[in-house]
Amino acid sequence: MTLQECYAAMGGNFDDVIGRLRSEKLVQKFVLKFLNDDSYELLNSSIASGNYTEAFRAAHTIKGVCQNLSFVRLQDSSARLTEALRDGNWNDEVAALVEEVRGDYQATADAIRTLAGQ
Amino acid sequence: MKLKNRTTQYLTISLGVLCIVCVCIFSFMAVFLRRSNQETISEVGTLYMAGLNERISLHFSTTIDYRISHVKNIVSAMPPEEVEDSKVMRERLKYDAESRDFNSLAFLAEDGRLDFLSGELFTISDPQPFLDSLRQEQVKVAAGAGERGERLLLLGVPASYPMQDGRESAALVAAVSVDMLESILSLDFDQTDSLVYSHIIRRDGAFVIRSGSAFRDSYFDRLRAEVPDGNAEKYISELKEAMAQRKDYSAVMFAGDGGEERRHLYCTSLPYTEWYLVTILPYGEIDEIVSNMGGGLIRAALMGCGLILIMLLLVFMGYLRLTRQQIIELQQARREAEHANKAKSEFLSSMSHDIRTPMNAIVGMTAIATANIDNKQQIQNCLKKIGLSSKHLLGLINDVLDMSKIESGKMTLNMDQVSLREAMESIVSIVQPQVRVKNQFFDVVISDIQAENVYCDSVRLNQVLLNFLSNAVKFTPEGGHIGVALTQEPSPKGDDYVRCHLSVKDDGIGMSREFQQKIFDSFTREQTDRVNKIEGTGLGMSITKFIIDAMEGEVRIESEPDKGTTFFVTVDFEKATVSERDMVLPDWSMLVVDDDRQLCESTVKALAEIGVRSDWTMDGGSAIRMVGERHKHHEPYHIILLDWKLSDMDGITTARRIREEVGGDTPILLISAYDWSEIEEDAHEAGVTGFISKPLFKSTLYHGLRQFVTEEEAIPVSEQFESEQEAEKSLSGRRILIAEDNDLNWEIAEALLSDLEIEMDRAENGQACLEVFAQSELHHYDAILMDIRMPVMTGYDAAKAIRAMDREDADLPIIAMTADAFSEDIQRCLACGMNAHISKPIDIKEVAKQLRRYIQ
Repeated sequence: MTLQECYAAMGGNFDDVIGRLRSEKLVQKFVLKFLNDDSYELLNSSIASGNYTEAFRAAHTIKGVCQNLSFVRLQDSSARLTEALRDGNWNDEVAALVEEVRGDYQATADAIRTLAGQ
Repeated sequence: MKLKNRTTQYLTISLGVLCIVCVCIFSFMAVFLRRSNQETISEVGTLYMAGLNERISLHFSTTIDYRISHVKNIVSAMPPEEVEDSKVMRERLKYDAESRDFNSLAFLAEDGRLDFLSGELFTISDPQPFLDSLRQEQVKVAAGAGERGERLLLLGVPASYPMQDGRESAALVAAVSVDMLESILSLDFDQTDSLVYSHIIRRDGAFVIRSGSAFRDSYFDRLRAEVPDGNAEKYISELKEAMAQRKDYSAVMFAGDGGEERRHLYCTSLPYTEWYLVTILPYGEIDEIVSNMGGGLIRAALMGCGLILIMLLLVFMGYLRLTRQQIIELQQARREAEHANKAKSEFLSSMSHDIRTPMNAIVGMTAIATANIDNKQQIQNCLKKIGLSSKHLLGLINDVLDMSKIESGKMTLNMDQVSLREAMESIVSIVQPQVRVKNQFFDVVISDIQAENVYCDSVRLNQVLLNFLSNAVKFTPEGGHIGVALTQEPSPKGDDYVRCHLSVKDDGIGMSREFQQKIFDSFTREQTDRVNKIEGTGLGMSITKFIIDAMEGEVRIESEPDKGTTFFVTVDFEKATVSERDMVLPDWSMLVVDDDRQLCESTVKALAEIGVRSDWTMDGGSAIRMVGERHKHHEPYHIILLDWKLSDMDGITTARRIREEVGGDTPILLISAYDWSEIEEDAHEAGVTGFISKPLFKSTLYHGLRQFVTEEEAIPVSEQFESEQEAEKSLSGRRILIAEDNDLNWEIAEALLSDLEIEMDRAENGQACLEVFAQSELHHYDAILMDIRMPVMTGYDAAKAIRAMDREDADLPIIAMTADAFSEDIQRCLACGMNAHISKPIDIKEVAKQLRRYIQ
């Protein structure tokens, strides 16, 4: 799997990221590092413990990372989760968004793992 | 209408009821007043007559006392025991009586016989009670009658005188005329204006003193005759009973003809006698006076009542009118609400249709692609269609989101320095493909540009223009013309502002006058067959209007069905304060050829501003001629600008003819609003050197023509401009503190910024950033890039804390770098003392631009 295919699989915008980071090697390096980023764990744990302020920050960080790496799909869902969590309230909408972010994250992580596995 | 009738009915009925109630209350009050008047009069009458009777009887008793004292004086002057000579005594008594003005004087014997001493003879009318009281040695008064029947008052004083017949007298009786009494007691009321008159009667009803119109002998007869309906006997028996008990008696009765006259009767007993004083007050006249007064009162009351009713009527009518007005307004509001509601539901149904169409395409194409998973070409085709549909769907959703943001009042403008040239160029490049697909002609006219760089929200400005343009493309048939124009003039808001006139013109289907009125309403789209097949949310125009309103601009429409539409937008933008780089080109001579006179003139003007003289012409033929002329005189044009379309021949042909004519290496540039890739080959073959794209801003011209500046010519120019590389280099060696909690983001930032040869230190959160900065040497760091959402301390707080530090370099540039891109967030960053805001993803060019801007 090439880096482009990986981006296509996760719903990212390869052209965008390469336009900014310029080097495919650099992109690949950061993409692989994405798996080590602990923001996702922070999101899960703070939601589990009911700390929605922290969950907001975690979602915000995920959004920021995704923006930098042009992971468009996960960026979109995490951005919406960020907005939903901005007030620090929990409701069904937020729950649905969390599920969406989890789905997108898994898809993204799967794609990266496939890339890393080669 | 029904509501209105009901209100009217209600008001009319209540007004009627009110009138009736008013009349009832006032009538009742009138009757009540009348009755209480009468009662009061009776009471006053009773009091008055009691007083009158008391006075009369007092007077009576005084008069009687006085006369009796006369009689007593006579007796004491000639005491019976000193009588020596009967004759002398009689003479003496007679003399005394006459001198005291008595009518007669007589001795009264025990048996009632009289022995007259002087004056006329008289008889005692009722001798028995008189004698009885005299026997008891009491002074007594009685009535008598003279010889001629005149009434007399007899005053008796017990005295034992020897009478003529030798017997002893029981009393001495003196008589006075009743008339005297009458005048003394002022009972002869005939002479006065007083209403009241009195009688003196005996217990059996016989008159002692009669006054007024009485002519009968008995008062009881008079009552019987004058009081009808047999009530007389009742009064007579009551009166008799009161007289027997010597009590006062008061009664109000109706008398006279038909019993219409009200009379008040008051009876008291008189002292010394068995007589009674009857005083009568006829109420007739008083009643009349009072009823006149009452009538006046009632009239006044009725008038007052009428006045109140009229005022009430006026108030009611005013209220009615107000109510009607309100009802009309209510109905209006309801109609509008219904209309809005209808528009929303229509919008929803058309939206759901509009959403379903691309959704169906996506779903369907996905299914087809799945079914043909091995057919690469088919899948590519499907994916392309899915992509298009998704893009369309995204557009719809964006519109709805924009609209909801606007409707909830959350839309704010994100003001930034914008180059109108870049803005127009990007719009043109977006619209070009659409125009080409529909084979339409597209033109851009820019003229009289005074300030190319202005402060505005470029995204929103793009949105406005794209909306107008995409509508123009949408509603203009194939082969139609679409034009966008931008001109500027001084703004009435002051020198810091510039007024921009933007217009988007097409010769498409146009719109009806009615629709022009409501084109900017939310959720509307003209409902005619010719537009039903064109998709859209109908929100674009209202969003556009909101944006223009937010920019404090105006929008105007000129449109006619089947003739086309022109939108005019007028906005005042603040001029960008950053000085425009001085653009100067060598002292060239140029030729501008375009079939649009306005474009020629504005281009010549713009060229003059960057130091280039130029001629212009509108057709290819004269252009060739002018180039030839110059060539002959060895003063060739340095550069020729040719429009792609000219009135007589196209630009490529003209270029070819010029090359044939004069050959040479004079650069010929083709002006085009279109993507020139299709004509590029032909153009080069014809000898065209390059292209320059419309709109022709000063900067477009400058950047387009700069490449033709030769080394020798470029002396003054090179100094003024640093190339971008040079600018980037200037950041090398700068030290920047980056506050970023996320490792990955930090690494990306590091990788990108290291290209700029910037030295970077990292702080994991706001608190760490604060500490690192606090411990650093003065002016060690040139700037701070600050993430906002960090643990321990946010970027907002960190920025505030740094600004509050007592350090010489506490004002170093702090640039926010965050995933939040809402203008509220940007405002908050600036409010916390940060200089600028960069939104993620980290764009190295943007970061470099901001750093260069703020680092000294």
